[in-house]
Amino acid sequence: MTKTIKTNNEYIPFPIKILKKKNESADTFTLRLDWQVDHDPGQFIQVSIPGIGEAPISISSYSKKYLEISIRKVGNVTNALFNLKKGDTLLVRGPYGKGYPMDNLKGNNIIFIGGGCGVAPLKGAIEYVERKRKEFGDVILFIGYRSPGDILFSHKQKIWDDNFKVHLSVDTIPSKTCYSGNVGFITQTIEKEKITNENTVVFICGPPIMMEKSIKILKSKGFNNKQIFISAERLMYCAFGLCCHCMIQGKLTCLDGPVFRYDEVINFKTD
Amino acid sequence: MDEFFYQIQKTDLSKFLNNIIQKNELYAPIKTDAIRFEKIESPEKIYLDTNADFPLKEFFFRDREKLFSFDKNKIKVEIEKPSKTRVFFGVRRCDLNAVKHQDFIFMEKHKDPYYSAQREDAILIGYHCKTAPSKYCFCGSMDLGDHYDLMFWEDESHYFVHVGTKKGENLINSSKELFSKTNIKLNEEHKKIDFTNRLKKKDISKLQDNPDWKKGVDKCISCAACTTLCPTCYCHEIKDEVTLSDLQKGERLREWSSCQLKSFTKVAGNHVFRENREERFKHRIYHQLQYFKERYNIEMCVGCGRCITHCPTEIDFVEIINEMKEK
Repeated sequence: MTKTIKTNNEYIPFPIKILKKKNESADTFTLRLDWQVDHDPGQFIQVSIPGIGEAPISISSYSKKYLEISIRKVGNVTNALFNLKKGDTLLVRGPYGKGYPMDNLKGNNIIFIGGGCGVAPLKGAIEYVERKRKEFGDVILFIGYRSPGDILFSHKQKIWDDNFKVHLSVDTIPSKTCYSGNVGFITQTIEKEKITNENTVVFICGPPIMMEKSIKILKSKGFNNKQIFISAERLMYCAFGLCCHCMIQGKLTCLDGPVFRYDEVINFKTD
Repeated sequence: MDEFFYQIQKTDLSKFLNNIIQKNELYAPIKTDAIRFEKIESPEKIYLDTNADFPLKEFFFRDREKLFSFDKNKIKVEIEKPSKTRVFFGVRRCDLNAVKHQDFIFMEKHKDPYYSAQREDAILIGYHCKTAPSKYCFCGSMDLGDHYDLMFWEDESHYFVHVGTKKGENLINSSKELFSKTNIKLNEEHKKIDFTNRLKKKDISKLQDNPDWKKGVDKCISCAACTTLCPTCYCHEIKDEVTLSDLQKGERLREWSSCQLKSFTKVAGNHVFRENREERFKHRIYHQLQYFKERYNIEMCVGCGRCITHCPTEIDFVEIINEMKEK
């Protein structure tokens, strides 16, 4: 074999500096990257630390100046990312995938339903709406976390309260915790709330059980499958449609998703 | 290319192959504990009685490919290329079409430099089956085309040879004295292989919930022999390996993976999307017969039958599908 040196191909990541690291909760943190790149809310990037590996992470910001990713420590790569600090370098490639169709939704009302670290990809779309607030109608946020200690993005609370109608709820309060907000599954709040399907789209991201329950409630309130957008999570390696690990009944989550209109994926079952 | 056949005397085949060996590396099926393509120094050992157990896949889409090496965040991309032209002799119609499908996904749909480096200069010489070499072959049911540099058809005392590309023509020209032109034209009859029209139902889109899948699933032991020996399966994973003497240094590798294993869909937090064997078993068949076609308008499966022949419990999914009753 002879060797030829090449500079670039689809698999090759490049280095990016960390501008800021912020701990959101005990196991979740946000990295602000010095990366100015066009993207749609809901898209993801591939983040890697050489020697540990690569992982797909959704973008949790919407800015021309930087790109943020919010990460929960659940695996080798995310644990290693947690140990990085401001000024460190990591490797990235992307952005990839189909995000939320923001441009087609001007003039509509939007409902965001997020659970746990599923709020992260929604945050990018919420920040998009913040930036272009006049282009959208009523915006409601339903956000649920396991416990007060799991609440993410508390620094955004004021901006969101000022601009949108926000419902935040935690499932349970551990003993000896000081918390005065709502308690109960966020789906119970959705059920109680008066919401109408008129000119309204819904973005849902969270644990499968929460997404399932939310969709059921929305349908009972008159929403149809075309008004609902979900974000799918799958194992991915290449992120450009070649490795096939993210395939769901022929659809590739990395190319056709991760954001899917619910009517496109209603028959996915357990695949 | 010209439709007319060349012909070469059987007794001259080894001369032709020896001419190839002079300037190139020759690979052909060899029978040891298994039949597989190996580099050969002399043509005597070539085994053409039946198809090879291993397809050509490993030569182009290699089972373990270095994507790049790293030293901390510094990346070096070095792509290996064979130093000599590799000529593959004795490749069956199914396997040639499998190369075609892999060429499509790695070179046309994607510009994969690792695959291209291995594939670009390779020359494929086919050996056409007359009749099914295995009782599990079903290439006759699949939508196969002509994808070769040269193709050999065996006859009584000689081989008919058809030229598919310029590369193939050059090979003939370099052994000109051994070949003579015939006035016989290649036609569809030559491409027919007896007893291979086995898969009767190719549209399986309405069979997702058919209870008969269980017949196969119950015997499946999730060993992944089917995907490993499949000439078209191209699923892969990516992982990093560090040098033990210096943990900052290492390589990022691309390795074959199998949808038959649970780990194929395991995400952070250990959730597995295709948890049960039935979902995994069906996923393979549907990717081969339906999903790939929906996306690219190409049937991925070429009907070589290796996934059945080499299945330790001989699950004949073709028979299972044939027997399914549509609601």
